[in-house]
Amino acid sequence: MLRFFLRRVLLVLPVLFGLLVLTFVLVRIVPNDPSAALAGQNATPEQIVEIRAKYGFDQPLIVQFGIYLRQVVQADLGTSIQSGRPVARDILQRLPATLELTFFALLLGAGLGVPLGVLAAVRHNTWLDHGLRFFTVGGVAIASFWFAIMLQLFFSMQLDLLPLRGRLGTAMTPPAQLTGLFVLDSLLTGRFDAFRDALRHLALPAVTLSLGAMATITRFTRSGVLETMQKEYVLYEIAAGYPRGLLIAVYVLRNSLVATITQIGLLFGALLAGAVVVESIYDWPGIGSYAVTAIFTSDYKAILAVTLLLGVVYSIVNILVDLIHGLIDPRVATEL
Amino acid sequence: MRARLLILVAVCVVVVVSGAVPAAAQDNVMVWGDSLPSNLDPHDPYDVPSALIQLNVYDNLYRYQGNPPQLQPWLAESHTASRDGRTWEFKLRKGVKFHDGSELTAEDVVWSIQRILGLGKAAAGPLKAAKIENVSAVDKHTVRFVLEKPYAPFLSIIPVATIANRRVVEPHVKGNDWGNAWLASNGAGSGAYILDPASYIPTKALDLKRHAGHFMGWSHNAKPIDLIRVRPVAETTTRVLALMKGEIDAGDSYLPTDQVERLSKVKDVVIHRNESMRIFIIRMNNTRPPFDNVDFRRCMSHAFNYDAFIGVILKNFAERNPAPIPKNLWGYPEGIKGYEFNLAKARAECDKAKAKGAPVDREIQLHIQTGLDQTMQAAQLFQSDVKKIGLNMKVVPNTWPNLTASTAKPDTTPDMWIHWVSAYFIDPENWIGTMYDSGLHGTWKASSWYKNPNVDELLRSARTNPNREERAKLYQQAARLVVDDAADIWVYNTVELRGMRARVMGFKFSPVGSGSELRHMFLAN
Repeated sequence: MLRFFLRRVLLVLPVLFGLLVLTFVLVRIVPNDPSAALAGQNATPEQIVEIRAKYGFDQPLIVQFGIYLRQVVQADLGTSIQSGRPVARDILQRLPATLELTFFALLLGAGLGVPLGVLAAVRHNTWLDHGLRFFTVGGVAIASFWFAIMLQLFFSMQLDLLPLRGRLGTAMTPPAQLTGLFVLDSLLTGRFDAFRDALRHLALPAVTLSLGAMATITRFTRSGVLETMQKEYVLYEIAAGYPRGLLIAVYVLRNSLVATITQIGLLFGALLAGAVVVESIYDWPGIGSYAVTAIFTSDYKAILAVTLLLGVVYSIVNILVDLIHGLIDPRVATEL
Repeated sequence: MRARLLILVAVCVVVVVSGAVPAAAQDNVMVWGDSLPSNLDPHDPYDVPSALIQLNVYDNLYRYQGNPPQLQPWLAESHTASRDGRTWEFKLRKGVKFHDGSELTAEDVVWSIQRILGLGKAAAGPLKAAKIENVSAVDKHTVRFVLEKPYAPFLSIIPVATIANRRVVEPHVKGNDWGNAWLASNGAGSGAYILDPASYIPTKALDLKRHAGHFMGWSHNAKPIDLIRVRPVAETTTRVLALMKGEIDAGDSYLPTDQVERLSKVKDVVIHRNESMRIFIIRMNNTRPPFDNVDFRRCMSHAFNYDAFIGVILKNFAERNPAPIPKNLWGYPEGIKGYEFNLAKARAECDKAKAKGAPVDREIQLHIQTGLDQTMQAAQLFQSDVKKIGLNMKVVPNTWPNLTASTAKPDTTPDMWIHWVSAYFIDPENWIGTMYDSGLHGTWKASSWYKNPNVDELLRSARTNPNREERAKLYQQAARLVVDDAADIWVYNTVELRGMRARVMGFKFSPVGSGSELRHMFLAN
């Protein structure tokens, strides 16, 4: 198993290197001069030339990439052109917000997606199954920005039940930072006012982000359960008169969730990346909105760092999923 | 088991949806929803959002107040200029304190000017244009500038320079960064508000606390706001909804006109409408065929439907301005007609250009700024009209940094692009002076690559002539020449629209900073 793990880790390194090369080239080949962005509005041509030389933007691209790669290896992601602070500091300040949103979206997606999938399978080809199919296709197809605005209009503006934006009300002092996840920190420090406020602010963004994941998990669970229910041992147990609920919960579900669990793992990475749109609309101060600002302001060090971070998260999740597969089915570990 | 689960879910739902007080309704706390600058160093970004920091956390020698903006003594009590216009002396007020309690002296002014120039970021642009030979402290309260040659707009650009506390910044200097890395997320000013670094999330959040000891005092405002939470809302729709709901007290100054009607119906929201000096322009790359042909540029100038854009799309929240100087600024060429929308004239001009060999049939690219709806609306209107005269226009979404970077060279500058020029300092130099002097080619403001030796001469004379009346005539002549050459398409003077909650009182607009000077404001009970 250790060799299997090491092999997976080694395979990730060229992937991350490729990702860095690709992103660096893409960011830098567009007709875009980071020295102009760094100089800012109203800079004279002479100022731009000075800054180009000062920051090494006049060097060949390959040399600039080499310098950047050396910095990354030394865990230095550079300084943001816009904020003037180390990119790592900016990211660390915003990462907990995105992680919190992603965790809750996944919790919601899996918490509702699995039971709905089971329900669709157990009642397959009934109106309930058709209704859930309509919901899942819609869940994947609906644009998240549209869904977000609809939720804001209905729950926040029409019913006045939930806040429109942000992570906490501006009147609320954030809880003492332990993990950076407001819901968790407020519980750990006994700040129940902040806990409630954080949950209220989390509700709409998490629902928006979870919709696609929920739909995917529902579909995977449904097909997994349906497939298992065709197995001979299940047919035997049905014939033997096992209580239906017990049969589904104990035997069928346990044997049907392998593909779903894999999917949940992969969805975590996808949700992190998908937070870009949701964070912008809900004004959520996370990595997604940071990435949007970086793109609009050509803050290339920030763009590279966010891409690298997402790549690393994807890779870690992939490794974990492979490891779980390896644990469940040792043949996978031997084959790879 | 199932019942317990249902109870748990029900409890969670109740916790989540149970009511809370809207954030903006706290006592003497205002939530400001306009943009934050990219960072907090007052000598680094120099754009519309940076005015929030420069006007509230820092002070300057002179400051623009009101509309039309008047230059008023601020940290300086007075100034004198030598006859040759090269030497300027500023007498500082005595007893002005920085936020740390130390006194603001001439040494701080000198160091701040040196820092702006040494840092070389955008704020340095106007000061570099003035070619400062030397800046020195004559005594504790007198600063002297010596210029290489006379620069008539010098007093107009003085407000660009905000004064920072040398003693606070210097311990944080690393190498030759002038403390930029530190000041980008901290404060060292003397202004009416003190920024709280602990609250700062770049472009997302910042708290400003009132500086009770500000040198201007607070007698003008019986109930100034003690705490301002700056919480920019990036998305227009969310920002408008947040204003309606009361989650923010003020939006930005770019409220889309299609939202005005919607907000007007909200009882607790008011819309401040102020004519500004921000002008809206469609640029043309005068070096690239067919735009190098004056007939073709005139064709394009006649093909834009100004009335439909201003009247229908902008609902008349703008004033037609056919020249490259704000209508409400001295130096404006009164009576200038410019170009009107007339497709027959446009077609005739295009035919003339074609007869001279201009490649009018090629695809024309018009770049717009993603996220700024007006640029898209103008482009789509333009695209549909030029199609009627047989021109093929493609609308290309782009970003501000990409566009400004691409204007460094004529061959990378787009065929056409759309932008505004805001009031950075109040002098025609900020508009026509920096837009059509060929010596400034390579900057985004001069991105039409227009070159006319007569215009160059007029603008350069105006730059060194200390007599305002004579300067006004020079700018008027230059403007008429530029308009006759149809260097660009000038559309309107902006009416800035900012939505605010009705409880926010004392809002005072000035084109410099778009009304973001917070010391005047208070909250109604």
